[in-house]
Amino acid sequence: MKTGLRVLHVDDNPADLGLAREALVESARHTEIASVEDGMEAMAYLDRRGKYVNAIRPDLVILDLSLPKQDGHAVLTAIKAQPELRRIPVVIFSSSQLGKDIERCYDLGANCYVGKPGNLKDFFSAVKSIEEFWCGFVSLPRQGE
Amino acid sequence: MSSAGTKLGTQDSAVPQTKLRALLVEDNALDAALVVRALFKDGFDVAADVVQDEAAFTRMLRSHPPEIVLADYNLPTWKGMEVLKVLRSEGLDIPMILVSGALGDVTAVECIKQGATDYVLKDGLARLPEVVRRALREKHERGLRLQAERDLAKKAEELARSNADLEQFAYVASHDLQEPLRMVAAYTQLLGERFRGKLGEDGDKFIGYASEGAQRMQVLIQDLLAFSRVGRKESAGGSVDCNLVMKEVLRTLESAIQESHAVVTQGDLPEVWADRTQMAQVFQNLIGNAIKFRGKEPPVISVQAEKNGQDWRFSVSDNGIGIPPESAENIFVVFQRLNARSEYPGNGIGLAICKKIIERYGGRIWVESKGGSGSIFKFTLPLPPLEATDGKQA
Repeated sequence: MKTGLRVLHVDDNPADLGLAREALVESARHTEIASVEDGMEAMAYLDRRGKYVNAIRPDLVILDLSLPKQDGHAVLTAIKAQPELRRIPVVIFSSSQLGKDIERCYDLGANCYVGKPGNLKDFFSAVKSIEEFWCGFVSLPRQGE
Repeated sequence: MSSAGTKLGTQDSAVPQTKLRALLVEDNALDAALVVRALFKDGFDVAADVVQDEAAFTRMLRSHPPEIVLADYNLPTWKGMEVLKVLRSEGLDIPMILVSGALGDVTAVECIKQGATDYVLKDGLARLPEVVRRALREKHERGLRLQAERDLAKKAEELARSNADLEQFAYVASHDLQEPLRMVAAYTQLLGERFRGKLGEDGDKFIGYASEGAQRMQVLIQDLLAFSRVGRKESAGGSVDCNLVMKEVLRTLESAIQESHAVVTQGDLPEVWADRTQMAQVFQNLIGNAIKFRGKEPPVISVQAEKNGQDWRFSVSDNGIGIPPESAENIFVVFQRLNARSEYPGNGIGLAICKKIIERYGGRIWVESKGGSGSIFKFTLPLPPLEATDGKQA
């Protein structure tokens, strides 16, 4: 069986984490989603610290902006500052449509910015499109050890 | 007479008196006494200090601020009119009356022009009490008026602040409501999809209602946010060519125009002082409404503008279903709808937004019935300030 790509989804709202999983239930790509609910957890996961010592580096990070402890901007900055993490594409997935949030994310090196749609169908299609594009269409760097 | 001033008083009087603290600028002790007596005879209990130079005058002003200053015009070392300069530089609003020997009419008028309240000749001191009374009354009224103006300014400021607070509240509330509502909407939809047909007929229906309600509320909140954004937009305004705005709007509405076979005509439109995006919102709402609320005939819409006094007066007329006169006011209120949602979709936010925008730039908007069918929406916008049309600075 083909193993899919690994996605780390960072969002403080379990309902959104759940919706994203639901969106990919029927996907044939077997994408594996790991979820964490705050910025510190996200960095621990990516740096493989603490309980994430055995975590495998994800191929893609889906990142919300409003996170407790360490917000999305800080997580994005940290990822893009580390040579061993900076190649991982980061998709910002946020309900903010403020120009300044969007611009700041691109300034900090976000790979794309997707607004969270309010409607289920649109939400599903956003998540599926992210998967389709980043896990199917683009060529990603190989995760080297 | 010392330069520190001399005290004159009438406290020994037995007659009930109006207390009055006066500062006399006078070098002649006898004249000073006559002045005090003239006031005393007319019912003033005068406590008077007498000075004759600037230093003493200033000192006395600060230590014993008087209610009135009575100054001789000609002093050996000082000019009576200099008193006014000192009063001004001390920031004091104390009436000053010249009490003088012969004073030509021209001089007298000049003194009053410079700020003296009035003048009284020394051989006509009988007139002094009335002059003093009037000066005090006027000062009192001036004070009241000033206080009223200050109160009014304070009220206006409070109102503006409370409006800003309310707007901020509406914005934050609707913004923060969006997130949880998004969850409700998404999960009721998911529930509906996953469990369709498994919860019985009622189950599907109930979930459908909940899901529709949540989605409608999402639209309402988005509309509220759009409405509150009108006032939040940080745009001082600029010169906006309405012809260009109309071109944009017609492009946006192109498919609606084609579908409804609408005919939109327009006259030459002026430049106005406003925000370009917001003007586009106004025209788009009005023309969009004219198309949406059409009658059986294809819509015929005309957009015109004419100068009317200090304003441009715009009109957008149509041949649609019209608006009953009794509803002419209501339609500009947020979320007011005249027609069934099923017949004409929408939340009734468009005209409220138009009104907010037009009023933001100093105009007015209203609707006139065309009798049989159709309506004319009219709005005004002030003629742009000169620098907007002529100055167009580089």
